[in-house]
Amino acid sequence: MHKQITYTGMIWLLAAQLVVMLPFVFDLPLWLIPVLLFAAGWRLRVLSGAALQPGNVTKALLIVLGIGGLVLSGLKFPSLDAMATLLLLGFAFKSLEVAQRRDALVVIFIGYFLVALHFLYAQSITAALYGMVSMIVLTGALIGVQQSVAEFSAGQQVRFNLRLSVFMLLQCLPLMLVIFVFAPRLPPLWSLPMPTGQAKMGVSDRMAPGDIEKLSQSDALAFRVTFKGRKPAQHELYWRGMVFNHFDGREWRQFERDIDPQQVQSALLTNYRWQPDALRVQGEPIAYEAVYEKTGQPWLFTLTPAVEVEGDVLRGADYRVMARQDLQAPFLLKAVSYPDSQRDLALAPELRQLALHLPETGDARTRDLAQRLWRETGTEQAYLDKILARFRDQRFEYTLKPPTLGESDTIDAFLFESQRGFCAHYAGSLVFLMRAAGIPARVVVGYQGGEWNAAGDYLAIHQYDAHAWAEVWLAGQGWVRVDPTTMVAPSRTEQGLEAAMQAEGSFLADSVFSVRKIAWLNGIRQQLDTVQYGWRRWVLGYDGAEQAALLKSLLGTFSVQGVALLMGGLLAAIGLLWLVLLGMTPGREREALEHQLYRRFCAALAKRGVLREPGDAPGVFAAQAAEALPAVAGVIREFTQVYEGICYAPSADGQQATRRLKALLGKLR
Amino acid sequence: MVEALRGHWERWVQQRLPAARVTTLNQRKIFIVPSKTAVGLLMLIALLFLLGINFQNSLVYIICFWLLSLLLLTIFYTWRNLAGLTLTALGVEACFAGEKAVLEVELTRPAHQPKYALELAWEGEDQVQVDLVAAQTLRVKLSHSTSGRGYFKPPRLRIATQFPTGLALAWSYVTFDVRGLVYPAPIEKAFQPSGNAQRENVADGREIAGGSNDFGGIRDYQRGDGSKRIHWAKYAQTGKLYTKTFVDYASNALWLEWDELPMPGIEVRLSHLCRKVLEFHQEQREYGLRIPGTLIEPGKGEAHKARCLQALALFGVQDA
Repeated sequence: MHKQITYTGMIWLLAAQLVVMLPFVFDLPLWLIPVLLFAAGWRLRVLSGAALQPGNVTKALLIVLGIGGLVLSGLKFPSLDAMATLLLLGFAFKSLEVAQRRDALVVIFIGYFLVALHFLYAQSITAALYGMVSMIVLTGALIGVQQSVAEFSAGQQVRFNLRLSVFMLLQCLPLMLVIFVFAPRLPPLWSLPMPTGQAKMGVSDRMAPGDIEKLSQSDALAFRVTFKGRKPAQHELYWRGMVFNHFDGREWRQFERDIDPQQVQSALLTNYRWQPDALRVQGEPIAYEAVYEKTGQPWLFTLTPAVEVEGDVLRGADYRVMARQDLQAPFLLKAVSYPDSQRDLALAPELRQLALHLPETGDARTRDLAQRLWRETGTEQAYLDKILARFRDQRFEYTLKPPTLGESDTIDAFLFESQRGFCAHYAGSLVFLMRAAGIPARVVVGYQGGEWNAAGDYLAIHQYDAHAWAEVWLAGQGWVRVDPTTMVAPSRTEQGLEAAMQAEGSFLADSVFSVRKIAWLNGIRQQLDTVQYGWRRWVLGYDGAEQAALLKSLLGTFSVQGVALLMGGLLAAIGLLWLVLLGMTPGREREALEHQLYRRFCAALAKRGVLREPGDAPGVFAAQAAEALPAVAGVIREFTQVYEGICYAPSADGQQATRRLKALLGKLR
Repeated sequence: MVEALRGHWERWVQQRLPAARVTTLNQRKIFIVPSKTAVGLLMLIALLFLLGINFQNSLVYIICFWLLSLLLLTIFYTWRNLAGLTLTALGVEACFAGEKAVLEVELTRPAHQPKYALELAWEGEDQVQVDLVAAQTLRVKLSHSTSGRGYFKPPRLRIATQFPTGLALAWSYVTFDVRGLVYPAPIEKAFQPSGNAQRENVADGREIAGGSNDFGGIRDYQRGDGSKRIHWAKYAQTGKLYTKTFVDYASNALWLEWDELPMPGIEVRLSHLCRKVLEFHQEQREYGLRIPGTLIEPGKGEAHKARCLQALALFGVQDA
C-alpha cells in the first residue's frame, strides 16, 4: 500500500493544523503563536523543497524549548490550560515530521480532539460555527491523505475534497442529532481541573465597598429566565444568590473565615442544610427556567423561596441554591418559587446567632444611634421603619461613584459623613443597625430586575443588575426582605439601574459606544440575544434532566421498549436515507429516461384499452395502437418514431428528444 | 482448529465468489469492516465522550457523536466505492517458469460513479492502486510469480479500498476463470551431447546430403568439391583437406526428439527442449517436435514456437 502522502495531502494537513490551532491563541499563552507559525513555516519550506526535514537534534531542541516555554509561562500543573498548551505544542511540532499516512492520521485525530477541547473555552454560536469549519477542513485532510494517485489538478483536488467533506459531514448530521438526543447523559466521573485562564465573573463571595459598583459597569449577561405562566412585576424580581452574615468592619462575608466553595458546600450539607419544614408555603407560585452563564463560580440566583428545584444543586438553610460545581458551562435550573411564603417563623438558635453577630468594636457612632433609636421605638417593626425613614428623609444619595470610606469604621463614615453610596452601603449599614439593636438581619447579594426581551419572551439579567439588599427577621413574619436602596432611589427597583442613574449619567459610563444607547441597534442586539438564548437553552443546556423530559414528551411514559423502538426506527430511517443518498438501494438499477418514458407511454395506452404484448416491437405495437385509437394515432406514431430514434440512432441532442417524448406523453394523457 | 476454520472460510469464499471471467462486485461479494484507523478513532471518540461527561459539555458531545456518525457513514461510502465495479480478465500472458505471469484485468465502473484509490493485490505479490475517475474503463496489469511449468491459474485477487476516509476497509476477492501457460524454464545452456556432434541433426537420416542450407559436418576432400567448401581451418590444423558438407533435410527441418535426448529427468529434458526451440526459432530454422504423446510437424514462426512451447509446458499435465 502506498504509505506516502501526496503534496496536496500535505497542504491539506497543514491547513487543517492552522485552522485548528488558531482559536486557541485567544485563551493560551501568547508565545504559542510564533511557535505555531514557525512550525507551519518550516513545514511549508520542507514541502516546497527549500528546507530539509528537521533532524533529531533540531527536534530535541524544539521540544526542550517548548517545554521550557511551558514551564516559564506560569501555567499551573495540572490544569486544562497546561494540558491544552502541551497538546498544541506537540500538534505543531508533529507537523515537522509528517512523512507517512500514519503520522498524518495522528495529527488529524489530535486535531479533532483539539476542536472539542476548544469548546471547554468557548461555547458561543460563533465558536460552534468555527468548530464546524475546523471539522470540515480536518475531514478534508483525512480524505486528502488517503488519496495517493493525483487524478486532478491541485485546485480541483481541493474543491473535490472540500465538497466531499462537507457532504459527508452534513449527511452525518441526522444521526449525530439522534445520538445527541438519546445517548445517556452521565454525571461527571471525577472532577477535573478546569480552565484557569479565565477570571471569575459576576458577584463574588464577599462584599467590600466598591465591588458591586464595579459589576455595574459591565453589561455582560448573568443569566436568562423564561417564566411559565405568571410573570412577576419588575419590583418583585429579586434574584437571591448569596447570604452574607459576617462583617469585619469593612467587608461582608458568607462565613467567619474565607472558605472556598468546596467548604461552603460541605457547610451547607452539614450545618446549614435545607429544611423544607421551616417554610410555610403560601401565595401564588412562579415557575421559571433560568440558564446561567458560565461564571467559574457555583452561585445560582433564584426568586426566594424556591420551593421546587430541578437540577444538580445544593440548598441551604438560608434559602440559597448553589450548583455542585463551578459553572464552566451554561447551567440550566428549573424552579418554582412562592415569594409570599413565610420563612423561618421560628428561627433556629444557630441561625439567630449568625444573624446577630457583629465585630467586637468599631463604628461606635452607629452603635450609639442604634441604641438611641431602639429606645425611642421599642418594637422591631417601628425601629426598622424609623431607619428606613432616615434613609429616605436625610440627604442620602444613590451613586455609582461613592467616595472611599477608609479601612475601618466604614459604616460610621457612610452614615454620618459621606451619605453617598450604592446598594451595598445601604444594605450593609441597615443590617449593622438591625444587629446593633438585637434584631437578626443579614445581607443578601444577587441581582435585581432584568431586561425583558420581547422577541424571545424572556428576561435577561446582566451584571449591571447586581444588587445587595437586606433580610430582617421579624417575630411573626420570619425573614422579611428589606431593600433600603428603594428609600433613596425608588426607580432602581421599578425601572432598573439605567433609569436610576439617569441624572448622574453614569450607567455603563465606561462603554461609550454601547449599542444599548442606540435604539435600532438595541433591537438587533435583542434579536441576536434571543438566538443565543435558544442556543444556551436547547443545545448547551441539554442534560440528563432535559433528556428525560424530552423522552417523556415523546413517549408519554418512559419504557425501555419504547426508547428502543424509537431509536431503532430513527436509526433505520437514517440508514435508509444514506442508502438512498448514495444511490445504493437494491434494485434501483437505473433505467434510461427514454425507456421509463416508453413504459409510461405503454401504461397510458393500456388505460385506453390497448395492451402491448411483451414480444411486440415498438413499431408493430404503434401500428396496432394507432389503428385502435385513431384520435391519437399521430401522437402514437411520432412518439414511437422518436423513441426508436433514441434507441437505435442516437443523436447528439438526446435531451431534446426526451423532452419531445415528455411533451407527447402529456398529450396522450 | 484454526486450520479447520481456515478451510471452512476458504470453501465459503469459493462458493460465494465463484471463478468467472467477468465479475461485477455487488453486495453479496463485498466485505466491509472498520479499519485499523477506525479503532484509533473509536478510542478518540471514547476519550471525547469522557471529556463530555466530565465537563458536562454539549458541544464536546456533539463532536464525539459527529465523529461516530462519520465512522458509520464511511462504511456506506467505502462500500459504494467498490460496488458496481466490473472486473474482466483479459488474459494471462504466457511466460517461462520462474518468471512473472502477467494478468491483464479491465476495470469498468458504472457511469456517474467515479471510483477512487482501488487497490488490487495478490497476497505477497504484485499490487497496484488505481483511480477510475475520468475514464470509465481502465486496464491494469498485475504480475505473479510462477513456480512450475503448466497452467498458471491466477489465484484469488483481492480488490480493496479504504476511500474516502480510511476508516473502513471494503474488499472482495475475485477469482478469474482464466489461465495462462507457463513454459518450462529454458535450460541455461543447451546440453551438448558428447561424442557425435551430428547425432542430433541426423537423428533419423532424413537429411538430404549435398544440400546447401545447413551445415552438416565435414568429410574427406573429394575431387570436384568447390573451393568454397574446403574447410580451411581444418586444413591449417591437420594439413589435410576436408570438405564441409551441407545438408538439406527432407522437409528442410530439424527434429527435436524426446527419445534421442541423452540426459535423464523429465524436467531437465523439457528445459533443454525449450532452450532448443527458442534457439531454433531465433535462428529462424524449421523444426519439429516429438515428445511422448505429441507430435508437431516441423514448421517455423511465432505460432509454431507457441505450439511447441505449449506442448512442452503441458507435457504430462493432467488438466490439459
